[in-house]
Amino acid sequence: MAFALWSRTRAPERAKETLVHADALYNLARYLTRDPDDAEDLVQETYERALGAWDQREPDTNVKAWLFRILRNAFISRYRQRQRRPAFEVYDTTEQPTEAATGEGSISSPDGAEPEQMRRIVSSEIEAALQTLSHDARTVILMDLEGFTESEVALVLGCAVGTVKSRLNRARTALRLMLAEYASEG
Amino acid sequence: MNCGDVQSQLHAFRKGRLAGGLPAEVSAHLENCMACARAGQREQALDELLEQRLPRHAAPKTLKRRLGLLMGTPTPEPAPVHGTVTRWARFVAPAMAFVFGRTVMLRSSSQDGAFASLMGEAVNDHLRVLASQNPVEIASGGKHQVKPWFEGKLDFAPEVPALEDTELQLRGGSVGYVFDRKAAVLVYALRQHLVTLLVFRAEGLAWPAEGNAPARGRETSMRGFNVVLWRSGDLGYALVSDANAKELGELAVRLAAATHGPGR
Repeated sequence: MAFALWSRTRAPERAKETLVHADALYNLARYLTRDPDDAEDLVQETYERALGAWDQREPDTNVKAWLFRILRNAFISRYRQRQRRPAFEVYDTTEQPTEAATGEGSISSPDGAEPEQMRRIVSSEIEAALQTLSHDARTVILMDLEGFTESEVALVLGCAVGTVKSRLNRARTALRLMLAEYASEG
Repeated sequence: MNCGDVQSQLHAFRKGRLAGGLPAEVSAHLENCMACARAGQREQALDELLEQRLPRHAAPKTLKRRLGLLMGTPTPEPAPVHGTVTRWARFVAPAMAFVFGRTVMLRSSSQDGAFASLMGEAVNDHLRVLASQNPVEIASGGKHQVKPWFEGKLDFAPEVPALEDTELQLRGGSVGYVFDRKAAVLVYALRQHLVTLLVFRAEGLAWPAEGNAPARGRETSMRGFNVVLWRSGDLGYALVSDANAKELGELAVRLAAATHGPGR
C-alpha cells in the first residue's frame, strides 16, 4: 500500500496518543494475518482509517477499542478482496465445536490439557495451537489477554456481550483441547 | 448453581468480572466441588500459559517510525547498544549482573513488568519443587554425578555449583521450564529450607534495565519467597528460597562466582 504522508498540521493532537496502542494492534494483526508484512500493512491502514474518521468519533469513545474495531474491519475487508489468492483463508467467524477439535484417534482428555501438561507447553506450541482457531476465536482470546472487558470486545466484534462470553469460553476450551494434542506428543 | 453454570463462569470469576452475589456463589461451589476446582486450575494454567509463554509481537521500529510520521510525531532513534553496556557495566561485576528485585509488581514500566514475570516464574518453579513428591530426577552423589546427567537433556551444559564449606547441600537436579525454554532445576537444602537454583538460556528474556541499584528482593507480597537473579554470559540464574534474604544473597554471590566460568 502506498504510504500517504499527513502533514503535522492535519493530525489532531489527541490522535497522536493512539501511537501507544501500536504494539497491541500489531500483535493482533500478526495473529490474524500470520505474516509480518501483512500485519504492518494492516496496522498502517488502521491508523490511516482512524485519522480519516477521527472527527466522527463520539466524544467519549474508548479509543483503544475503537482502533481494534477498525483493525478487525480492515482485516475483513482485505480478506474479502483477496479471494483469488490460492492460499486464501476464508474469514471464519464460526466457533470451533469442542468435539471437532479432538479429531479421530485423539487421546486428549475431554476437558483438554491438564495443568501439569500445560506447564510443559513451549511458546511455539501455544502459538501454533492458537493459530488453529477461527479468526474470531483468536480475536476474543487475544483481546481478553490484552485486558479488554467483555463489553469492549463486544464493541469490536459488533455482537452482544453474552455472545462474547460464550465465544470466549468456547475459544478457550478449543485451545485447551488443541494443547492437549501438543502435550500428548511432547 | 450447578457445575455447568459454575464452569462457564470460571474465567469471568478469576478475572473479577462477576457481579452481585455470583462471586460468593461460585466461590462456595468451588470449595465443595473437586471437579469444578480442578476446572478452575485448568483455567489458571491456561491463563499463565497465555500470559507468560504466548509470544507477543511488538510493532517493528520501522512501522512505528512510519506511524509517527503519519501522526506528525517523529519517533526517536534507539540508543546505541555500546552505550547501554557501558552504563550497566558501572554497576555490575565483569561479565555478570547481580540483581535483587524489589516488589516489582507495583511498578508500571513494561520492562519491570517483564522482570516481575520472570521472578514469578522462578517462584512457580520453586513451588513445584516444594509440592513434588520427587523433586529431583537425579539424586546427588555430588556435583560430578548430577552435572553429567544433564547431557543430552538440555541444549547447554549447566554448572552444578556445590559450596562444600557451607550448610548448602546439593540434593539433586531435574529438567524443568522457565517460560518457553528448558531449564536445569538444581535443588539444595539449607538446613530446613529448600533452595532452588534455575539455570536457563537468557536470550529473548527481558532482563533488568541498566542503572537499577540493587535492592533487597522478594517476589510478590503474598508468597514471601526471596529471589536472586543474575546472568553470566548467555545463561540466566534464579535462586529461590524462603531462607533468610541476607543469607540467600550471600550464597548467591558464592554460587555466581562458581558458575562464572571461561568460554561460556
